[in-house]
Amino acid sequence: MSNLENNEKILKIFSNIRCLNRDQLPRYLDGRLTDVEKHLVEQHLVDCDLCFDALQVLQQPQYREKYQPLASSMQQFIRASIKRISQVHKVERYQRQEQKKESFLIYFWVVAAIAIGAGGIYLVQQQSKFKTPVSKAIASNTELPATQSETPRVQAAIVTPVRTENEVSRKPAEPVTTTTPAPAPPDMPKPVVKDSVKTKVKPPATAAAVKDSIRDSARKQLTAAPKSPEVKDAPKDKPATPEQKDTPTVAKKTEDKPEPKAPPPPKKEKEDAPEKKPAAESTSTDEFLYKAAMVYHQQGDLNEAISRYKHLSESPGKYGELSRYQLAVCYRSKGQTGKARRMFKEVVRMNGSMKDKAQAALDNL
Amino acid sequence: MLQQLTNLSDKELISRARKLKDQEAEGVLMERYSHLMVAVCLPYLNNGPGTSPEEVYPRLLQRLSASLRTQTIPKANEWIYHTIRAQQAQTEKNNPFFPSTESREQQQMENKVEKVATNLKEQQVLAAAMEEALGKLPAEEKYFLKEFYLNNKTFTELAAGKKYTVEKTRQILQQAKQKMASLLMNETYE
Repeated sequence: MSNLENNEKILKIFSNIRCLNRDQLPRYLDGRLTDVEKHLVEQHLVDCDLCFDALQVLQQPQYREKYQPLASSMQQFIRASIKRISQVHKVERYQRQEQKKESFLIYFWVVAAIAIGAGGIYLVQQQSKFKTPVSKAIASNTELPATQSETPRVQAAIVTPVRTENEVSRKPAEPVTTTTPAPAPPDMPKPVVKDSVKTKVKPPATAAAVKDSIRDSARKQLTAAPKSPEVKDAPKDKPATPEQKDTPTVAKKTEDKPEPKAPPPPKKEKEDAPEKKPAAESTSTDEFLYKAAMVYHQQGDLNEAISRYKHLSESPGKYGELSRYQLAVCYRSKGQTGKARRMFKEVVRMNGSMKDKAQAALDNL
Repeated sequence: MLQQLTNLSDKELISRARKLKDQEAEGVLMERYSHLMVAVCLPYLNNGPGTSPEEVYPRLLQRLSASLRTQTIPKANEWIYHTIRAQQAQTEKNNPFFPSTESREQQQMENKVEKVATNLKEQQVLAAAMEEALGKLPAEEKYFLKEFYLNNKTFTELAAGKKYTVEKTRQILQQAKQKMASLLMNETYE
C-alpha cells in the first residue's frame, strides 16, 4: 500500500497541472488556499514562469492595486471582441444558409421549368404525331393524286361513304339522283367533292376520337361523341381526282351506301328512324374502328392494323368487305402474297363494291 | 458556444483557432491567460512612449494572435511568456517561439505519466525508473524533490529549512526536475 502511495507521489513530479486561474491567483497571494490546493499550485509554479512571474509582480502592493481593474477591463475587451466576432460569424452563417436556400430554390425552379418545358414539348409532339396522319389522310381524300401510295387512298375511300350516309340520314328530303346500284362512273365530280370537303371539316372530331380511344374505348366514345354538323358551303369547284386501280373510288362509296336509303320517301324514313338507329350506330362504330385501323395502317404499324382489320372483317356489310380488302393490302405490303391473294379472292367472292379492285389486285399479284 | 469552448483544453482551443480559424476559440484562450498577462506586464506599463495599458495589451493580443497561426505551441503558458518577454524587449522582429529541449523532455515525461495513469503495472515500471533517476541526482536536488513531492512541503518551508529564498528554492526544484526528465528520456533512447 505504501509502495503504491510512493509510486503515485513520484509520478506526481511529472504531472501536468494547469495555470492559476483568475480566482486562485489572489487567493494564493492572500494565503487563502487549502494545503492540497496550495501544493498543487506550487507544483505548477515549479515549471511555469508565467504564473511565477505574475505572482512575484502581484506580491508588490503598488501593482496589486492596479491589477484588479486592468484584469477586468482586459477580460471585457477580449469578450467584446469575441462577441463582435461571434455576431459577425452568426451573420455570416445566416447569410450562408440563406444563400444556400436561395440557390437550392433557384435550382429547383430551373429543374421544374425544364421538366415542364420538356413535358410540354413531348405532349405537343405526341399531339402532332396523332394529328398528322389524319390530316394527311383528309388531304389525300381531297386531292387523290395519281402517284399516291395505297394507304391514304384507301382511307379516303373509306371515310367518304359514311359522310354520304350521314348526309342522307340527316337530309331525308334531299333528292338523290343516282339510283343505280352499279358502280358509278369515275367522272362523278359532285359527290366526291362534297364528301371530301366534309371530311376536311370533320378531322378534329375524328382525330380526337382516334387519339382518345385508340385502344379499347372506341365504341363507347363513338356513341357518346356528338356528330358535328357538316359544312356544306365548302368549295365545290374542286374536280374529282382520277382514281387508281387499287383504291376504291369516292364516287363508288357514295353510291354503295346511301343509295339503298335514298329511294324511300322522306316520310317513310321518318317512321323508320327509330328502328334504324341501332343499325346506324353499329355502322358508325364500324366506321370508327375502320378509321382507327387506317390510322395504324398509315403509321406503318401493319400488325396492329391487321389485327384491327381482322376484327372488323367479321362484321357484315360494307366495312367487312373494305376491311378484308385492306387486310389483303396489308398482307401484300408485308410480302405475304398467299394470304393477300386469299383475301382478295374472298373480296371478289363477296361480289361487293370492291370486287373490281380486288380482281385487279389479284391480276397484278 | 462560448460556454462549450471554455471547457476545452488549451491544445484543443489552439487546434480550433488554427485549423478552423475559429476566432472565438482564440478569444477564449486569450481570456484564460489574460489575468496573467496583465500581471506580468504591470511593471512595464507607463515606462515610456507606447506603454500605456490601452496600447500594450491590444498589441500583445495582436502579436499572440498572429503567432498563434504560424507557430507550433506545445504549451500555451510558455508561448505567452515568450511573447510577453519579446514585446517587453521591444524587438520589432517577430522572434519565433521554440520550446527548449528541457521543456520538450519534460513534456514527454508528462505525457508518459498521463499515458500510464490507467495501467497499474506500467505505473509501477515508470515509478521504478523515476526512482532510479532520482537516485542519480545530486544530493541537494534529490532532497528538494523528495521533500517537495513526497513529503508535500511548501516553497516557504523548504526555503526556510535551507535558508534560501523562494525563488532559489523554485529554481533548484526546476533544475532537478529537468535533469530527471533528461535522465529518463536518455534512458529510454538508450
